[in-house]
Amino acid sequence: MKTPVSTHIGALLKRQWLSDKSFEIIIRVPPRFAFEPGQRIRLRLGKYEREYSIASAPGEPEIALCVRCVAGGKLSTLLSVAESGTSLSVNGPYGYFTYKPSPRPAVFVATGTGIAPFCSMARAGISGFTLLHGVSLPEDLYYAPLLRQSALRYIPCLTAAEKLPENSFRGNVTEYLEQHFPPAAYDFYLCGRGEMIRDVTLLIDERFPESLVYTELFY
Amino acid sequence: MKIYTGTGDKGKTSLFSGERISKADARIDAYGDLDELNSILGALTAQLAAEEKLVVELQQIQSDIFQAGAWLATRPGSPLMDSLQEISEEQIAFLEKAIDRMEEELPALETFILPGGHITAAWAHVARTVGRRCERKVVSLLSQSMKEKAAEPYQRILVFLNRLSDYLFVLARKCNHLHGMPDKPWRP
Repeated sequence: MKTPVSTHIGALLKRQWLSDKSFEIIIRVPPRFAFEPGQRIRLRLGKYEREYSIASAPGEPEIALCVRCVAGGKLSTLLSVAESGTSLSVNGPYGYFTYKPSPRPAVFVATGTGIAPFCSMARAGISGFTLLHGVSLPEDLYYAPLLRQSALRYIPCLTAAEKLPENSFRGNVTEYLEQHFPPAAYDFYLCGRGEMIRDVTLLIDERFPESLVYTELFY
Repeated sequence: MKIYTGTGDKGKTSLFSGERISKADARIDAYGDLDELNSILGALTAQLAAEEKLVVELQQIQSDIFQAGAWLATRPGSPLMDSLQEISEEQIAFLEKAIDRMEEELPALETFILPGGHITAAWAHVARTVGRRCERKVVSLLSQSMKEKAAEPYQRILVFLNRLSDYLFVLARKCNHLHGMPDKPWRP
């Protein structure tokens, strides 16, 4: 059933840089704030507001968000320097990008910080999925140890790596699916930027038409 | 929010329940018509701006139509059905009470009337006929693809649509009445 939407005042506890462009923030929230793994919140600081998927598991006193510094992005810039204790408005949860058990294999596909909802799912105990994480460089593969533990297969797809780490693919997630996935019916969960969602969805139409596709679009 | 994704450029679209289907599918046809009905109600509401109570009532109905649309965009049996709120008896009763209230203010109907009169009445009639088309599409969808148990919430949508078209008929009459225009009787 849908978790009711509510607004809470949270406090920034910690910020940890995941790469030179992305960081994780930990926000303390009231215990009554409930959500399902895969859902997102609307975060507000001052007059700036943006939606972020939650990267932590439900039932914890803090939530983790994965933030990418966007050129000219007001909120991400503010969050990148905000001091511990800063008050933030947390409104949500929103969205239906939650895991649905099914007899078909689950294939999670993320680009960049689109990995956040899958982290939440993994931290909540969901396992046995195939996960493709598309990034530029190996240092962008944040949360890899956690995800490797839960995934049946974890395939980093790197587009700009000089040296390719073991068990990785050189190229983007769409190319990996095209070259290495046998035609079958899957449950695809796509989270990331519009170009990836479009390319993978059109590939699914062509090669995996009996599949289900759930998407969460990041901007 | 960006509204274009490009995932529908080759004639397919996604259901809320995750299936990729042709835009010519009966399900898309049905909720597309529901969208048309909702937009016509928007046009009607815009012309009734001075009638605050009616505007609130119509906006509630627009919201209910959205709710029905979400069901039509979901395959029966999908786990996503749990995320949706069913059209309730209260929502149907809301329409019935509104019909009764409006009818009390109107002269008794003794013959068929021509759709039209004041522009707002004309729009209400257009909405009514599109509502009837929606109903036909949903009936067709139900008969094609739904098993008994999973179809229950969809049956309630049919009741809602049936009552909604009745409401729109009476609303059309009320719109004429509000603007001092008598209904035009049908003269065979």
